[in-house]
Amino acid sequence: MNKLVVVNDVVKEQILDDSIQLSFVPKNEEFGVNLLRIKVTESTRLEIYYENDKKSKLDIWIDVDEKVHFELIEIRNGVSSKVQYHNSLSKNSSFFSQKLYFVEGMREVSYTFLNGENAQYHSVLKTISTKKEKYDMEIIHNAKHTESNIINHGVNVKDGSIIFNVTGTIPKGMKESTLNQFNRILTFNEEECKISPILLVDEEDVIANHSAYIGKFREEELFYLMSRGIHEKDATMLLTKGFLRSKLHLEEELLEQYEKKLDTVWR
Amino acid sequence: MHSLKIKHLNVEIGKKQILKDFNLEIKSGEIHVIMGPNGTGKSTLSKVIMGDTNYQITNGDILFDGKKINDLKVDERARLGIFLGMQMPLEIEGVSNADFMRSAVHAKEKEEFKLYPFIKEMNERVEKLHMDSSMIHRSINQGFSGGERKKNEILQMYLLKPSIVMLDEIDSGLDVDSLKLVGENVMEYYEKEDPAILIVTHYQRLLDYIKPTHVHIMVDGTIIKSGDASLALEIEKYGYEKEKEKYRASIGTCAVESILKHE
Repeated sequence: MNKLVVVNDVVKEQILDDSIQLSFVPKNEEFGVNLLRIKVTESTRLEIYYENDKKSKLDIWIDVDEKVHFELIEIRNGVSSKVQYHNSLSKNSSFFSQKLYFVEGMREVSYTFLNGENAQYHSVLKTISTKKEKYDMEIIHNAKHTESNIINHGVNVKDGSIIFNVTGTIPKGMKESTLNQFNRILTFNEEECKISPILLVDEEDVIANHSAYIGKFREEELFYLMSRGIHEKDATMLLTKGFLRSKLHLEEELLEQYEKKLDTVWR
Repeated sequence: MHSLKIKHLNVEIGKKQILKDFNLEIKSGEIHVIMGPNGTGKSTLSKVIMGDTNYQITNGDILFDGKKINDLKVDERARLGIFLGMQMPLEIEGVSNADFMRSAVHAKEKEEFKLYPFIKEMNERVEKLHMDSSMIHRSINQGFSGGERKKNEILQMYLLKPSIVMLDEIDSGLDVDSLKLVGENVMEYYEKEDPAILIVTHYQRLLDYIKPTHVHIMVDGTIIKSGDASLALEIEKYGYEKEKEKYRASIGTCAVESILKHE
């Protein structure tokens, strides 16, 4: 299994096979931010663990070659982070990104370019927010018959606040493309949260969906769990953990580790 | 011996009155069946007893073992031993059946809860209900068919061992074999645990397997006739109209027009 450990924006540990070419460019006079370049040449999976004990900034460029299926899992812990992604997908490639965040403040900008026909991008972001977090995501369908499915789930506790700005673009001529985005924030405080789901579609022969929800659980869900005798606070916890687990395709161990993060900040 | 008594219950949702001076008492060892046309308040009754706050009780009491429970929250009622098998059990992604049931049984049994007997009993009942064992580790009702959801409700009933069991249209969505299986499992529970059971249904077919001690006809928020199992057969044969007409005659035309206008 491919694995990277990045501490304070520097690669501290790497276990990589031939399917991934990694280059690390330290910040210099021209670029004031460390750059991590990942080129995926064969179908594979990569886990990246980020640990920051000081404010960090990092650029990450990911290129997925033709006919390659790439699965990326990113586990992010620590203090405030700023990160910018530049993802590029070639013809007949697919990229499945799963992110589990537990960071004290987050600023993320991402650009994902589906540059080749039949390219598919699936992204699931989970974050437990205790401070300000803002995500600007752009997905650009630059080829026909491309597909993107974006799921952003946030749980807002303590002093957390989350902003999801998600823009999907399908230019004219990129027929038979699919663009879906589903954004949901569960909020347990009074801090401001915002979701801007934007679809910029200049082609008729496409499927495009978006949804945005900020709030707590549906009453019926709580009623169902409580009707079996579960106390309200425990039912809320069960539902919140369920929300954090949903849509992910990860090993139980990773899911449990992430759930435990919630225990540390729960009311 | 446990009992649930409903005295002069009036219930509204919004400003619409659903239950009107409703009275009923069920005790351990009894199986009551409530039948009636659509929209008559049968499901509302079970939800109100369970403590659904979308409904407002404007008058009357719900008593469990003689104690008023009107103000208890849904989870408190459940821990007393009241169970509602729902008509349309929800799908909740991410929460596994096993975690859900373990939390529920733990909430009831507290420090007496033991994991191994819980798992053993759950596995045995899953087998008896002909459920796929993988369902235990899947999200609550996610991807379950209508029949599987109903079996899941019966499984929960077994694990929680309630003394008052309400089953709201437990027969809907079940094929012939599943109906028989669910009916037999309910009867097995009845014989083993001696609960009071209240079943809401439209059809007599469930009663081929569950033998009621009392049958009630409910129209427009109140019981208009009670009897034994033979009443269900009459309804199956003649429908509700005959009983409605008799009711009309017994209370006078003007009152009936007012009562039946919502049908």
